Amino acid sequence: MDWNLLGLSFVVVFLAELGDKSQLAAITLSGNCQHPRAIFLGTSSALIFASLLGVLLGEGVGQLLPTHLMKAIAAIGFALLGISFLWSSNEEPEA
Amino acid sequence: MGLVNCDVAAQTVTGSFLFRLTVSDTNPTPANLQTSEQKNNQHPDQVKGFGKEFGLAFVTVFLAELGDKTQLSTLLMTAESQSPWIIFLGAAAALVTTSLCGVLIGQWLARRVSENVLNTVTGASLLFISILLIWDTVNL
Repeated sequence: MDWNLLGLSFVVVFLAELGDKSQLAAITLSGNCQHPRAIFLGTSSALIFASLLGVLLGEGVGQLLPTHLMKAIAAIGFALLGISFLWSSNEEPEA
Repeated sequence: MGLVNCDVAAQTVTGSFLFRLTVSDTNPTPANLQTSEQKNNQHPDQVKGFGKEFGLAFVTVFLAELGDKTQLSTLLMTAESQSPWIIFLGAAAALVTTSLCGVLIGQWLARRVSENVLNTVTGASLLFISILLIWDTVNL
């Protein structure tokens, strides 16, 4: 076991992810949900799956899945979620 | 679900240890549910909500992270070194840690900010994430 390499990859990915949009998503989703554990499991498994794809497929991941299209879909999804949250905060002025 | 487990375990002869295990396993869940939401006996809804929120978090984060700089740096490190699985282990541990931090920060915020403010902030930050993603798409 190469602990140096393990530590290096941990530090690099940790710093890259800190304050990134996925962490922001985890913060905002868990603030509003009733199952923080579900959000934790969902975000971490999605991240692990994404990096597993990266490790397994190498540079083929770009060809296999159209990254532009996926990101566009994700952007639309986040925008819709954001609008729905803003909508619900306008509908319930009390509380 | 917990009740069914207890019954089955109690009927087996060697089930005393198992029984204790299942009881101690099921104990935290109802306690948590009651303190955090003040709702009793809504197991099907709870499970459905859990799955829904899990799916929501998984799909949005997975799509957002695909081809992101984390994935690219993992990929580069894998290509440079001879042991991809150690890189994967380190990256996975870091990702779990950051999302745990994110969830804890979110919970901490949810306890001190009112629901209305939280909804507005959530909406604004989700829109911000979508703008970041559009930026990525344009500049990729």
